[in-house]
Amino acid sequence: MNYKKLDMGSYQLHLIPTDRFKTILTRVCLRDKIVKEEITLRNFLTNFLTYSTATYKTKRELVLKAQDLYAANIYTKTYRAGNYNMMSFYLSILSEKYTEKGMIEQSIALLSDILFNPNFEDDETFEEAFHFLYSAMENAIQGLKEDPTLYSAVRMLENLGENEPYSFHEHGYMEDLEKINRSTLMDYYQKVLNHSLVDIYIIGNFDEQEMIEIIKKYMKFETFKRPKESQIIFHEKLPKKIKTEKESTEGAQSKLSIGCKIDKLNEFERNYVLTIYNFLLGNGSESKFFRIIREKHSLAYYIYSSLNKLDHLMIIRAGISKENFNATMKLVKKLMKEVEEGSFTEEDMEIAKNNYVTFLKEIEDNESAIIETYLARDLLNLGDIEERKKEILKVTKEDIMKIAKKVKIDTVFLLEGEMEDEGN
Amino acid sequence: MKEIKLSGLDQSVFFEKLENGLEVYFIPYKNKTNYTMHYVTKFGSTNTTFCPIDEKEYITVPDGIAHFLEHKMFEQEDGVDPFTFASKSGTNSNASTSYKITRYYFEGSNNFKENLDYLLTYVHSPYFTEENVEKEKGIIAEEIKQYDDEIDWILDEELRKSIFQKDSTRIDIAGTVESISGITKDLLYKTYTAYYQPSNMILLVSGSFNKEEALETIQNNKALNAAITNYTIKEKKAKEPVEVARKEYSFKFPIVNPKVAYGMKIPVKGIKDRYRFNLYVGMILNILFGLSSRFRERMKKEKLMTSFYNERDFVGDYLIINFYADSKDAKKLVEEIKKELKTGNITEEEIERLKKVWISSEVVMVDNIALTLDNLLDDIISYGEIIPNKIDLYRSMNRKGLEEIYKKIDFDNASVVYVEPKES
Repeated sequence: MNYKKLDMGSYQLHLIPTDRFKTILTRVCLRDKIVKEEITLRNFLTNFLTYSTATYKTKRELVLKAQDLYAANIYTKTYRAGNYNMMSFYLSILSEKYTEKGMIEQSIALLSDILFNPNFEDDETFEEAFHFLYSAMENAIQGLKEDPTLYSAVRMLENLGENEPYSFHEHGYMEDLEKINRSTLMDYYQKVLNHSLVDIYIIGNFDEQEMIEIIKKYMKFETFKRPKESQIIFHEKLPKKIKTEKESTEGAQSKLSIGCKIDKLNEFERNYVLTIYNFLLGNGSESKFFRIIREKHSLAYYIYSSLNKLDHLMIIRAGISKENFNATMKLVKKLMKEVEEGSFTEEDMEIAKNNYVTFLKEIEDNESAIIETYLARDLLNLGDIEERKKEILKVTKEDIMKIAKKVKIDTVFLLEGEMEDEGN
Repeated sequence: MKEIKLSGLDQSVFFEKLENGLEVYFIPYKNKTNYTMHYVTKFGSTNTTFCPIDEKEYITVPDGIAHFLEHKMFEQEDGVDPFTFASKSGTNSNASTSYKITRYYFEGSNNFKENLDYLLTYVHSPYFTEENVEKEKGIIAEEIKQYDDEIDWILDEELRKSIFQKDSTRIDIAGTVESISGITKDLLYKTYTAYYQPSNMILLVSGSFNKEEALETIQNNKALNAAITNYTIKEKKAKEPVEVARKEYSFKFPIVNPKVAYGMKIPVKGIKDRYRFNLYVGMILNILFGLSSRFRERMKKEKLMTSFYNERDFVGDYLIINFYADSKDAKKLVEEIKKELKTGNITEEEIERLKKVWISSEVVMVDNIALTLDNLLDDIISYGEIIPNKIDLYRSMNRKGLEEIYKKIDFDNASVVYVEPKES
């Protein structure tokens, strides 16, 4: 894909011009080292900035403005990636072929208003926004318990590594929410603008030169240059024995979460071998977990494993009946051992590689996913789509067996369903 | 093949009706990498009373049989299931059952011809045994129980039970643990033979593929050619009365914030152009309750709701409109919704702005191969045909048309369901 990275001084501009899409997607990404006490504030700020601006003082005025720009779609995502917190603002608009000349500039101007012109001064509308966002966040934080699948995973991660970034709650904490007010919000906004590492990605059908001029005009970041710290989390030692905890809940199904720590890997192992390992073990309908635990033994309605490469973690999740807990755990361990011992075929490897290539091709039809690949290039030194297609073919059976020994179960958490099981 | 241009979108759909009655829709794209193919039978959870082929008596089959049948189609006589076949080439495969249809699909980027051939072959090759039917009951029981914990699921179910007296939309798509226990191999064959003939089915392919090659593959498929030609199902549907089953219902559940669902049941029997009717209803709801509505702004100010959305669908001779909200004073919120529906004011400016938003959403939709396919399928199921001139229809909408339809609708025929928190 045609890709250019331009150093704009206080930020990097990544351009991906292509005629594959009818829309243009812009992502402004602000990165900073994650601090547990700041998660809630950072989420609040993100929501606040996109709620209204000093120009469009209420949510309704802002939405009307976006609709007038042929439904310019502005949304945000804040999430943790390894040691960092990523705060992203997205703007998706139609290519001017389907609207009118000037719509790109007006839309970027609106995004700029959101980023640089917050509604801190107008008392009435500030209070209204503040209270609305406060109670929405209160609900999100307290709602964790209403989602048994998520709750089980979060409790497992807390047991896996207290005080480690991966144990932090993504929605934040009530005690931090209670401390937020106009002045803490304003201070934190200044901190974000001054300290974040800023990247702007733009993909779609546009004139490059024109776009660069528009970005220069509206994206007035003045962040301080700071040395980059690695985003990747390493574990000092691998677990020797498994920690298990159970908690009970209303409802029928039990939610099982298993956290595995992964030893230090080289770049090829982390970027490619680990991916194939995960496909073989627990990702997708051809994996051992799915075939044996779900299909052959009917022990689980769902079971899969997923990777957090930046955390060096593999997470296994399953929905089971509580009386099947021991049998499921026994099989999980047995199947992990099988991969270590090379109990899989060249054909299994082939299927896993094909699955990965399909995953890469899916990215080619998705603007936001294409941007992610260039972000991953900077974070993990992972190749672009074409490079990845080539590299994955080099993974061997021996590579998999070697890496399998570096994945160890650390923590098991079972959220036990209390209700009687019927049938089955 | 007949070419149908989607106006204003630079995209065409090709249609062909085969001699055996199968309807085929192709949506070939330039500039995309992936394809998606869906094989659909107009058989969903609400089709439960029919006359089996070569029999005289109508039978009523257990609730959940459509979904059960979908699961069992993955069992093939040669032991190779579609998941395995598909994932060898890195293709995703799956199936789903709704109230109205069952669909089987492949999504991939290579092996197109083989995959299409296989999709048709396996859907036309049922293999049910007493043993594999019994085994499936355990798996599906787990699946059903998984939803027992999910409040939004339960709330929706209670709302359906409130709105409908007789229509099988009352019952969950998967049925109950009890109802599926009555499913047998023979019942599955009878049901399959009635509903899985080409004249009751639709094939849709969207994305990167060659349409001539695709048509040839379909015409040469042996399993499809062996199916019964132009068969018309005889079935009965319960006549659903206009009155709702329960006007008001409430229950307690371990949640933090109270929830409410409010559903309206609007008879559409005499309405000739249901698409146009639905479009104007959508416009009314969008302007009165959408993101940019004055209502939403006012409710937020009065702290009457946090989450708030509505959706609608045709069920038999009714248009069902459902509102869902999290609200600390749900009773008051429902009163406000009713009042707004009666007295809401809609301006010319709002109509024009919404038209821009809708035109934009059509362009965004057509850029996504899967959404476009889903959208065409929805039209075929709801209106019996695709609607290629949506952008023109949006442009032609006006205040006069809106007022004519607004006047006719009786919004008072409704059910409300409240969920109150209880200590867990």
